[in-house]
Amino acid sequence: MKFKASLLASAVLTVSPFLLATQSHAERVLRLDESPVGEIDPAKATDYADTVLMQNLYDTLVEPKKGGPGVDPLLASEWAADGTAYTFKLRPDVKFHSGNPLTADDVVFSLNRMIAMGQGFSNLFAGRVEKAEAVDPHTVKFTLASPYAPFVAALARLPIVDSKEVMARKADGKYGEFGDYGEAWLSAHDAGSGAYTVESQNPQTETVMGKFSGYFLPFAENAPDKVHYRYGVEAPTVRALMSRGEHEISDLWLPPEVIRAMAAEPGMKLLQEAGATGEYIKLNTARAPLDDVHCRRALSYAFDYGNTLKILKINDTISQGIPMKGPLPSGLVGYDPSLPDITQDMAKAKEELAQCKYDPKSSPLDIAWIAEVPARERIALLMQAAFSQLGFPVNVIKTPWVLVSDQVTKPETAPHAVEIAVAAVAPDPDSLLYNMYSSKVPPTWMSAEHLKDDKVDELLEAGRSEADPAKREAIYKELNVRLRDLAPTIYAYEFTGVFVARDAVAVPTLEDPAQRTLDNFNLVFRTMSVAD
Amino acid sequence: MDRSLPLARLFRLASSKAWATFFANPLSVLGLIIVLVILVLSVFAGVLTPYPEHVGPVGDFSAMNAPPDGAYWFGTDTMGRDLLTRIVYGYQLALIMAAVVLSIATPVGVVVGLVAGYKGGWVDYALMRITDIFLAVPPLVLAMAIMGFLQPTLMNGMLAITAMWWPWYARLVYNVTRAETQEGYVLAAETVGASTAHIVFREILPNCMPSIVTKMTLDVGFVILMASSLSFLGLGVQPPTPDLGSMVAEGAKYMPSSWWLTVWPAVAILVVVLGFNLLGDGLREAFEAEG
Amino acid sequence: MIWKTLYSRLKASLIVMIGISILIFAVARVMPGDPARIALGANASAEQVAALRADRHLDDPLPLQYWEFVKALSHGDLGKSLFTNRPVSTDIAQFLPATLELVVVSGLIMALLGLPIGAISAHFRGRAIDQIGRLVALLGVCTPAFVWGVILQLLLGYFWPIFPIQGRLMDATPVPPTVTGFYLLDSLIAGEPGTFLDALHHLILPAVALALGGMGQVARLTRSNMIEVYGKPYVEMAEAYGFRPWRIVSRYAFVPAFIPTLTILGLEFAALLGNAFLVEKVFGWPGLSRYGVDVILRKDLDAIVGTVLIIAAAFLIMNIVVDLLVTLINPRIRLSSRRD
Repeated sequence: MKFKASLLASAVLTVSPFLLATQSHAERVLRLDESPVGEIDPAKATDYADTVLMQNLYDTLVEPKKGGPGVDPLLASEWAADGTAYTFKLRPDVKFHSGNPLTADDVVFSLNRMIAMGQGFSNLFAGRVEKAEAVDPHTVKFTLASPYAPFVAALARLPIVDSKEVMARKADGKYGEFGDYGEAWLSAHDAGSGAYTVESQNPQTETVMGKFSGYFLPFAENAPDKVHYRYGVEAPTVRALMSRGEHEISDLWLPPEVIRAMAAEPGMKLLQEAGATGEYIKLNTARAPLDDVHCRRALSYAFDYGNTLKILKINDTISQGIPMKGPLPSGLVGYDPSLPDITQDMAKAKEELAQCKYDPKSSPLDIAWIAEVPARERIALLMQAAFSQLGFPVNVIKTPWVLVSDQVTKPETAPHAVEIAVAAVAPDPDSLLYNMYSSKVPPTWMSAEHLKDDKVDELLEAGRSEADPAKREAIYKELNVRLRDLAPTIYAYEFTGVFVARDAVAVPTLEDPAQRTLDNFNLVFRTMSVAD
Repeated sequence: MDRSLPLARLFRLASSKAWATFFANPLSVLGLIIVLVILVLSVFAGVLTPYPEHVGPVGDFSAMNAPPDGAYWFGTDTMGRDLLTRIVYGYQLALIMAAVVLSIATPVGVVVGLVAGYKGGWVDYALMRITDIFLAVPPLVLAMAIMGFLQPTLMNGMLAITAMWWPWYARLVYNVTRAETQEGYVLAAETVGASTAHIVFREILPNCMPSIVTKMTLDVGFVILMASSLSFLGLGVQPPTPDLGSMVAEGAKYMPSSWWLTVWPAVAILVVVLGFNLLGDGLREAFEAEG
Repeated sequence: MIWKTLYSRLKASLIVMIGISILIFAVARVMPGDPARIALGANASAEQVAALRADRHLDDPLPLQYWEFVKALSHGDLGKSLFTNRPVSTDIAQFLPATLELVVVSGLIMALLGLPIGAISAHFRGRAIDQIGRLVALLGVCTPAFVWGVILQLLLGYFWPIFPIQGRLMDATPVPPTVTGFYLLDSLIAGEPGTFLDALHHLILPAVALALGGMGQVARLTRSNMIEVYGKPYVEMAEAYGFRPWRIVSRYAFVPAFIPTLTILGLEFAALLGNAFLVEKVFGWPGLSRYGVDVILRKDLDAIVGTVLIIAAAFLIMNIVVDLLVTLINPRIRLSSRRD
C-alpha cells in the first residue's frame, strides 16, 4: 500500500517542476549569493552581503562615484562645508516604503541610532560628529568635533531609516525613550527608501526582496521584480543552480578552477569588480620574533608573490588578484602606480634575517588561515613553505572567521601571520589605513598588526584633517612608502572580485568601466536587466 | 558455552578449526589482505610513495590541479601535490587515529554497559544517566568544547572523538546485557554462586562480542569520517598533514570538473572500511565456528 | 505498569536534561572567544563590549549565571540570541520544524531501506544477493552525508536535473500557512496538493543523502543480528518443522534481531538532528542543525544552550520511545531495574 502510494507520488513529482515553472514566468527574478550572514539592520551592517543589502534597501546622502575615486550625491542634492560644519540639502521627492516622506529628522535619527547602538560602521561617526540637527525638513547640519576630511565619503555608510516607522515598531530596550531603537523589528524588516523592500528575511539562508514602485530614481526596463539573495551556498550547488538557470550571479569566493570551468559552459560570462580591497597578511608586530622589523622584512621578502598570483589566475585576462605596491590598493587617493611591484627575493630575506635579533630556529611562527575561503589555505601553505626555508618552524592553523576576528584583537592571542582582506569602507584612504595602522584605534581584525609607530600615527592624523586634496595625496603617498618600509604587513595582492553570471542578466555597473564604482558597491539591482 | 575471556579467544583463533573457517570464506581473506596492504603502505609510506616530499605544504606549481596521468597516477591537488602520496599518508594518520580512539572508547563503554546492565539498581541509574548526557549532547559541541580547553592538535582531536564515542558502546552492550541477564545460562550461573566478575566477563561479555566486533569494524570508518568533520570546522588535523576526510570535503568544492580531488580519497576511505568490515565478519564467523 | 515505567523514564530524562544544561552551560562559557565581541562585530568599542558583557551577566561567577538562566527558563525564557537579537525560542521555532521534517523523512528512509536490506542479506547469507546488500550498506556507511549530498546534486540536479537542489519550496510556490511548520502537513491542512508535492520534491534529495549512512548502519546490524538469531535453537527448530522461509523471517528471526537494531535506529535518528548541518548547508535547508553550528562558531551562549537542550530533548524522547518499543516487543525486559 505504502509502496503504491510512493510510486504514485514520484510519478506526479517528475511532472510538478514544469507546472511550477510556468507559474514563475510572469516575474523577473534575480538570484545571487554571498557568504552568511545577511544583516539588514543599517546600524549593524558591515560585510559584503550587508553592503549590497544596504545599497538596495536603503539610501544614503552620498554614494561612491562611478568610474573613479570620491562620491556622488544621492539623497543630498548639494552640500557645503564650513570648517567643521557641514550642511546638506535633501531631495524633496523621496519617500520611504511606508509612504512617509524622507526628511532631515530621519537623517539625524539614523545617525543617533547608529552611534547609540555602537555597531556596524558607527566608528566612522562616533566621537567625530559632535551633533547633527535638522535645520528645516530638507536641510541637515552636522557639526564635527575636529576637522575630518573623509566625513562626506563616510556618509556613504550611513543608511537613512524611517524614524516614524522605527519608533512605531520599537520594543522595550536600553535606549530610554527610544526603547530598543527598533532593533528587534529591523532584524527582520526594513524601514528604508531603497529601490527594493524586504519580503522575507532569514540571515542564514536568504533575503527575499521585492521592487519598490515608489522609488525616486528610474529602474532599468527589465529590472528584476524579485530578488533572492542567498547565503552560504556551497560551490558545487552554485554551479548546478546556474547551469539549470536557477541562479543568475555567483558569489566572489569560488576557487579559480571552478570559475574557469563554469565560464566554459554555454550562457555564462565573467564579471569583474576591482579596487580598494587589499589581501593583507597581517604580521603580529607585538609578538616575538615579529616585533623586530628585520624579521618582518625577511618574511616580506620571502613571501612567494609569483606563485600567489599564479594560483589566482583564471585565464589570460582575468585573475582574482593583481600585484600590490604597498598598503594602498588601486582606486584610492594616494595609490602610486610608479612604485615597483613587491617581489620575492630570498637573498634579501636572508640578509634581513641576519640582522634580526631572534634565531629563527627557536622562534616558531603560527599562521592562521580563515576556514571559509579555500583560496586562503593555498596562500597559508605558500607562506609555510617560504618561511620554513628561512628556518622558522611553522604551524598552520585553520580557524573559522569568527574565532580569527576575536583572536586578533589581543596581541597575545593574535597569530604571527594571518591573511585578511580589508576593503576601504568608504571611498577614501583614511577609511582603510586609519583602522589598520593607527595606534589610537582599539584593536580589531583590521588592525591585527598591532602596530605602534609615531610617524605612521602622525601621517594618519595629518591625512584626516587636511582639506586640500593635493596635500592629502602627498601625505598618503608618503604613508604608503613608510608602511612598505616598516613591513607590518605582507602586501600579498590586491583582490579583484570575479563573479560568474548568466548571460541572461546584464549588470551595467560591472560591465561598463565608466559606471563601475569601488568594491562592494556595484550590485545595484535596479540597474540590472533580467532577460525572459 | 565457552568460558574463556574474549581476548583469550582471539588468540585461540590459532586453532585449526577457526583458521579453516576463516580461510574458507574468500571475502574474509580479501578483507585480511586489504587491511594488511594498507598497514604495509602506511608503515613504509616514505619508501613506497612516489613523492614523499608532497606531504608538506607545496608540490609542483607547474602541475596544479592536474588530472591523473603517467607522472601523477591519481592526479594532483590544488597545490600541485601528488594525491596518491597524500592518500597513503592519509591512511597512516587514519589508522593511528582509529586505533587510539577505539582502544580507549571501547573498553570504557563496554565496562560501563556491562556493569550497568547487570548490576541494575542505582548503579545502572547513575551510569546510564551519565551515558545519556554524553550521548545527548551533539558531538560537535562536545568536540568544540574540548578543543576550547586545549589546543587544536591531533592528540586533542582524538581525545574529543573518544569522549563522544564510548557512550555508543555503553548503550549497545547495556541493551544486550539486559536481554542476556534473563537467559537461562546466566540464571544458572547465579544459582551455582558464580562471582559477579565471572558472570559479567565470562558469561555475558562473550555474547556481546559479535555486536562489539561488528561495531568496531564499522567504527574504523566512522572515526575517520568524524575526524574529517572536525577538521572541516578547523578542529583536529591541521594542514599540511594529509587527512582523507578533509581531502574529500575540500575536494567537493571542485566537483564535478576536478573529480579526482574527491573521488580518490573517498574511494580510499571506502576501501579501508570495506577491508575492516570483511575482516571483522570473518573473525566473528571464526569465533562462532569455534564456540 | 507501562505508565509507571513511562513516568520513571521521564523522571530520568529530566535528570539528564539538568545534567546537560549544566554541562553545556559551563562548556559554552569556556570555549575560546569573547561572545560579546563576536556579537557586536569588529567595530564596537571596548566600552560597548564591556556594557554588553555586563548586560548579559557574563562577568558574574558561573553558578550565579546558571541560576539566572534557570530562573528565566522557569518562565519559558531561553534567553536572547546575541547574534540574531531575537529570543532564542523564536529562532528555534523558526528553524526546528524544517530540520524535524527532514530528519523524520530521513529516519523513515533509513528504516524502510535498512531493515529489508539487512533482513534479505541475512536470509540469503553468503550468496550473491547478500554480497550486493552488504556492498550497498557499506557504500552508505563509509561515505559522509554531505558527499552523498554533492553526489546526488550532481547526478539528479546537474547532469540529469529532475530534482530541485536548494531550499524547501520553489521560489514561486507560496509558503503554506504555518500550523506545524512541516510543509508536508501544512500544505495538506491548507488543501494545497501542489505545494505538498513541491515540498516533497525538495525533501527527497537531502533526506536520502542524510539517510544513507544510518541506512547502511541499520542494514549491517540487522544482518548480523539475524544471522545470530538464525543459529538459535528455536529458529533451527522452526526450519526443521518446515515453516515457510518468510514466516521464519518475520515471526522468529526478525523480531529478536530487531531489538539491538531498534536501539541503534533510535540513536541514529536522534543523532541526525545534530549531524544534519552539512547536508542542510549543501541543500540550503533553513534548519536548526545549521543554526546550531553557526551559533557555536559565533559563541552565541544562550542560543547554544537552547539549541543543545532542544536537540537533547529530542534525543531523550526518542530513547524513551525506543525503550518502550523494546519492552513491547520483548516483555521479558522490564524497564525498571530488575533488582529493585
